[in-house]
Amino acid sequence: MKDAITVKPSPFAARPGWIARLSSGLASLRELQVSTVVGVGFVAIVCFGTLFAPLLTAADPLGLSKETLLAPGGAHPFGTDDLGRDVLARVLYGGRVSLSVGLFSAVLSLGLGMTIGMVAGFFGGALDEVLMRITEAFQILPKLLVAVVVVSLIGSGLANEILVIGLLSWPATARVIRGRVQVVRHEEFIAAAEMSGASWVRVLARHVTPNVLSFLLVSASLQVASAIMAESFLSFLGLGDPTHPSWGLLLQQGQLFLQQAWWLTTFPGIALAMTILGLNLMGDGLSGGRAGTRAARR
Amino acid sequence: MLPVIVKLLLRRALLAVPLVLAVVTLTFFFIRLAPGDPAAIMAGDAPTPEFLAQIRSEYGFDRPVWAQFLTFLGKAVTGDFGISLYTKQPVFSVILERFPATVLMTGTAMVVASLIGILVGVASAKRAGSRLDALISAASLVGYSVPGFWVGQLLILLFAVSLNWLPVGGMEAARASYRGWRHVEDVAWHMVLPVATLSVFLLTMIARFTRAAMIDALDQDYVLVAEAKGASRTRILWHHAFRNACVTTITVIGLEFGAVLAGAVVVEIVFSWPGLGRLFYDAIYRRDFPLLTGAFMFSSFVVIVVNMASDVACTLLDPRIRR
Repeated sequence: MKDAITVKPSPFAARPGWIARLSSGLASLRELQVSTVVGVGFVAIVCFGTLFAPLLTAADPLGLSKETLLAPGGAHPFGTDDLGRDVLARVLYGGRVSLSVGLFSAVLSLGLGMTIGMVAGFFGGALDEVLMRITEAFQILPKLLVAVVVVSLIGSGLANEILVIGLLSWPATARVIRGRVQVVRHEEFIAAAEMSGASWVRVLARHVTPNVLSFLLVSASLQVASAIMAESFLSFLGLGDPTHPSWGLLLQQGQLFLQQAWWLTTFPGIALAMTILGLNLMGDGLSGGRAGTRAARR
Repeated sequence: MLPVIVKLLLRRALLAVPLVLAVVTLTFFFIRLAPGDPAAIMAGDAPTPEFLAQIRSEYGFDRPVWAQFLTFLGKAVTGDFGISLYTKQPVFSVILERFPATVLMTGTAMVVASLIGILVGVASAKRAGSRLDALISAASLVGYSVPGFWVGQLLILLFAVSLNWLPVGGMEAARASYRGWRHVEDVAWHMVLPVATLSVFLLTMIARFTRAAMIDALDQDYVLVAEAKGASRTRILWHHAFRNACVTTITVIGLEFGAVLAGAVVVEIVFSWPGLGRLFYDAIYRRDFPLLTGAFMFSSFVVIVVNMASDVACTLLDPRIRR
């Protein structure tokens, strides 16, 4: 029976450590939905493929050859592109670029979003008001178009892409974390910590942070998904790094040969869609399939 | 006493002012942030010294930064986005020339997405927890996980290249110059695939949020009262529950409009649709920065106006929001 879980623990009972609390937050993993398993599976396949790319294909993703625009089959399971490069190798190695841009910009946006959300939720008042107005303004602005303008002006390149996507994607996390902190803020253990003389830094770090970590986890998988999507958008517009072709860049090249070579768009697109869908399924599963998890991504 | 709607519009317009300022300030900041001489950025690659000097004095790049900013701001809010480096025409007129095509495609996609999205959302809320509901939820998750431009490419591969049912791209048949009704038919035919592509994302968003709002609304006391009064099932669903849920739907449309416009940019590129998106693409490729920043500011203003309109619509529909 599960009803014992809903009993609110006494404020005098020893608080479990943060590992215990995080793991109890993850206890729902045992009641995994099929969709979550599918999501984890998709992400696992993509991670495996990109990490072990050299074992899966001997081809060089940048190696030119005379066998241009070959249909899939034989030595080239995914075919070759207009310069005779192996598409399978390009998809596998391209995943490294897409995934790392996604990961690093998500780390940046999560850090920013968590800091802003915690400060706004914890201190409330005028500070909260100002931070939330800024957050709303950021949400109304067409994020991807801002990214296009900035990357065009400051120059393309992986570092710039990561920086721009990261700096534009924090509002989603900030709002979720703020909402959670507002709830935690009024718990007795926070009052207890404050009364015992803990500084606000300590209260935030030791007592608030552990309680928002599971929400950060949900945010993380959705953020990585949206960052990968943003990267593909920029690359598709020709703002990616041509020396490190990502899936978006492959799709841009595929666009040029859409009527001659279906494999140039189909395979990178499947990889991209599988990754984003997998991460979204994971995020939805971790959040308990609550409706409106999309709010966590905005 | 001013009528409610005028007061509402005024208040929203006042709230939009800081956003417009923020957009212009950000754009100015980005131009200053770019490595190199801002005058050189505005003047393009390899300008003549005279043109460079003209830009420098026009934008006052030799004056202090705050004076530069005020000049830039004054120009931007009056629609003077500078001269396109490539076409040598005023950026604003270039944008206005392309804007109708984008409005046509995006507007149609939004109508299609709203109609289908609401129907799907209401249908799945009515049978919440059923197999149909689960199927719709799964489909909508797939819908917003696949990048729009890839969906477009797949649709081209299937319907234009393999089946040869619909045109690959463009807005009208290149060789024929139809007039009157035939022209409308031709454009409509070219619009099927881009509109379908662009609708996917918004449709899934609307379906998801309408479903959640409908489930919430159907649980309210006013639905119980309506049932007790003996109102029909259809009347309860649409007149009582949806009247309340549609506020959420409209909010979602407003909030997602920025994403829809960005989606339109790539969809236009995939289908060579002659709108703002192509303009962005060309501006990026030709390093036409006045055109790029102008198109960006213009799109942002449109996004702000749409957000404002959705806010006003929500307030008019739901008197509880009025303060």
